[in-house]
Amino acid sequence: MSIERDTLEMDVLLVGAGPANLACAIQLSKLISAHNERSKESGSKPLDEVNIAVIEKASEIGAHQLSGAVLDPISLRELIPDFEKHGAPLEAPVGEEHVYFLSKSGKIPLPILPPPLRNHGNYVVSLNKLTRWLGEKCEEAGVNIFPEFPGAEMLYEGDTVVGVRTGDKGIDKTGKPKSNFEPGVDITAKVTVLGEGVRGSLTKQMIERLKLDRESDPQVYSVGIKELWEMPDDRFAPGSVIHTMGWPLDSRTFGGSWVYGMRDRIIDIGLAVGLDYRDPKIDPHHEFQRFKTHPLISDLLKGGKLVRYGAKAMPVGGWFTMPQLTSDGVMIIGDSAGMLNGERLKGIHTAIKAGMLAAEVILNALVKKEFTRKTLSEFDLKLKSSYIGRELYKSRNFHQAFDRGRMFGLMIEGISIITGGRLPSRLPIKAGHEHMQKLTSEAGADRYAGLKYDDQLTFDKLTDVYYSSTHHDEDQPAHLKVVDMNICIDRCVTEYGNPCQNFCPANVYEMVDGGEGKRRLQINFSNCVHCKTCDIMDPYQIINWVPPEGGGGPNYRKM
Amino acid sequence: MSQGIVLFIEQRDGVLNRTSFEAMVAAQGIASATGETLTAVVLGKSVAAVASEVASKKLQAVYTAEDDRLAEYTPDGYAAASKQVVEKLDPRFVILSHTYQVRDYAPKLAAMLGRTFVTDCVGFRAEGSEVVFTRQIFQGKINTDVRVVGAPPILASFQAGSYRADKAEAAEAPAPITPIEINISDIQIRTQAEAKFQEAKQAVDLSQAPLIVAVGRGIKSQENIEIVQKLAEAMGAEIAASRPICDNEWLPMDRQIGSSGQTVSPKLYLAVGISGAIQHVVGMKNSQTIVAINKDAEAPIFDIADYGIVGDLFEIVPALTAEILKAKSEG
Repeated sequence: MSIERDTLEMDVLLVGAGPANLACAIQLSKLISAHNERSKESGSKPLDEVNIAVIEKASEIGAHQLSGAVLDPISLRELIPDFEKHGAPLEAPVGEEHVYFLSKSGKIPLPILPPPLRNHGNYVVSLNKLTRWLGEKCEEAGVNIFPEFPGAEMLYEGDTVVGVRTGDKGIDKTGKPKSNFEPGVDITAKVTVLGEGVRGSLTKQMIERLKLDRESDPQVYSVGIKELWEMPDDRFAPGSVIHTMGWPLDSRTFGGSWVYGMRDRIIDIGLAVGLDYRDPKIDPHHEFQRFKTHPLISDLLKGGKLVRYGAKAMPVGGWFTMPQLTSDGVMIIGDSAGMLNGERLKGIHTAIKAGMLAAEVILNALVKKEFTRKTLSEFDLKLKSSYIGRELYKSRNFHQAFDRGRMFGLMIEGISIITGGRLPSRLPIKAGHEHMQKLTSEAGADRYAGLKYDDQLTFDKLTDVYYSSTHHDEDQPAHLKVVDMNICIDRCVTEYGNPCQNFCPANVYEMVDGGEGKRRLQINFSNCVHCKTCDIMDPYQIINWVPPEGGGGPNYRKM
Repeated sequence: MSQGIVLFIEQRDGVLNRTSFEAMVAAQGIASATGETLTAVVLGKSVAAVASEVASKKLQAVYTAEDDRLAEYTPDGYAAASKQVVEKLDPRFVILSHTYQVRDYAPKLAAMLGRTFVTDCVGFRAEGSEVVFTRQIFQGKINTDVRVVGAPPILASFQAGSYRADKAEAAEAPAPITPIEINISDIQIRTQAEAKFQEAKQAVDLSQAPLIVAVGRGIKSQENIEIVQKLAEAMGAEIAASRPICDNEWLPMDRQIGSSGQTVSPKLYLAVGISGAIQHVVGMKNSQTIVAINKDAEAPIFDIADYGIVGDLFEIVPALTAEILKAKSEG
């Protein structure tokens, strides 16, 4: 059956309504107005009307946004200089700060705050609220924003990107059109900007096709598990910040926790776990639940109530893992390009700045009417020579050092801080899933034997997922495409013990009785919180995350 | 000169389609904005009851166009009859509700009249005596304004749900009902309707059931569902399920209770082999009485159950069924 599709012609198409693309859209609108003002004065020809569109898979702007988050306001200040006056949703300026190294029941405060973790002048924010606000600013600037529009595939002419085809609507679980079927739309554009967030599904396809990663190291990731708690009193002031290292993670597992004070007696608490851990039995959700039983945390949360849950992966490889950022007709920005600073645990300010720099390059391309890599590659240079580039360059060896375990990591980190990132040689790194070790013959002790779910402080995965307000239409094909399910049954069971059941923080993957004494992989895709961990951490790399029908996914609030 | 608004009312077997009242709200709005008079037309056979229901609303007149050949819907019959009505009344606007039937015959009508048809509108706006229609494009992401420059009548259909049927203004006194003569012949009608059928089974509305027996993962296999089905039959209850059962297609998806299924509050909810994950509980926690059977005494379902039986459902359910049948036969 050939399908008739609508075509929507745009000039600039931004895929994903996160801080990078929304900043890009706002900045581009401003630059175009300024350019046209100047043309008017000088009598030269202004730009024709420029149509800018942002597409987003979530049901509304911000609904899939999750971060710690502490915002370094440096780039937001450039984008919207008096953002406080314009009602930017800030929780509080960072106040008291602590960093602890945890043992099972003890804590050692670090005598001095490591410079990368100093947050004076920064703000505790909810990324989900901040993004929604940036979305409003975009709409005020006349940018078209289309929520519930997932990008399904890139449109190419030769190897030039000419737009994106959005996902079909109304396909049933067997793949047949339902009565509400509507085919996806072809949105064409002179420049397509991929700001899809971490492990973007289109970005992944495109990097592979155009080999944009041929000169970069493989990206490495962490997954952040997060809960919001509502407290009965003001025990933890808005803007208070705690970071911890150590327990419950073992010394071969990268990661650490955060506890941030938000407005309205909300405590924001989370644990990041490096997705390059060794033991396939590690379960980031369970590690987080264990973390909350530490006296430092259980005392803090006593009497409080869980109100939200969510999870999201983040790219932490930094400088050496960034792909080539541009190609003909296309640019990659933000987390999709690995611009998060893993050492400072911050990616919002880099995303915003990247969006702004991209806007400058796009304006230039629009003026020249020239959208090939020749013009767009100015972005690669601009980014690398900006303060974002300098910051990422300085922390270029951060995660790579922890690749060899915590002690080596901390030692190298100490040296790097003193030398500004210089080390005698560049540290090697491999993709996180390659670190996963096969099950050994002797069954080790159950890591989580002592973990009980009391529904007060600790919650099982399914209960937590409920607090993410995740929803997908059940009558659609699973959006987690497992290339070969036989591998799950025939090899993975014995080699890794089906770790998808462990690393997924939303109970999507479940090995169930398949009859005839065999197991079978059941994919509860409607639980999926779109964190992308499975696509990243699967040891065989046979899980392919693609966007479900538009609007499906978590419905984050204040996250 | 063309004037007035004609609203086509849809009915089947003498039962009014409620979306006609939604379209009426739009038509009444256009009438008051443009000063045009509004009349309604009912096509079919034996439509007196529908016509008088329509006449209770605020409009100038109701016309009925009846013919044996309109008893069953056919696109040819409806298009031919509508064309004659439109030519006789010579309106500026023809308003319809955007139903499946209208999608079928109205484009044909418009083509026969050689006039413009603005389909699936969600609103309108009057500019002087002109009417600008609003319709959605690109999967409902963009609204466009449509201004018709051609000759009248302008045909427009309104999407279901764009207006609320209960907002249709009632009349102080009923409008007069007048038959209108139409001439259609058998030759014009090239199709003959087969018996009606419904491919998809009527969805089960569990929210209306007073008694529900729900089965969960504890049932282990599809063959075992039968014992719970027997219990439900004995009790006169509807059978429902938690998600894993419907995922495995052991019961149809429309039997699913919980955050991704239906929400129910029956007098009695009997949960068999359901652990009580929060996703299920939100769909049934408001039941008046909750009884749970589960082998795990720690199962969260017991936190909300009024009565609980800790034990093997494969022993308890058949015994319970037998007792109920016994009590019934004695009773």
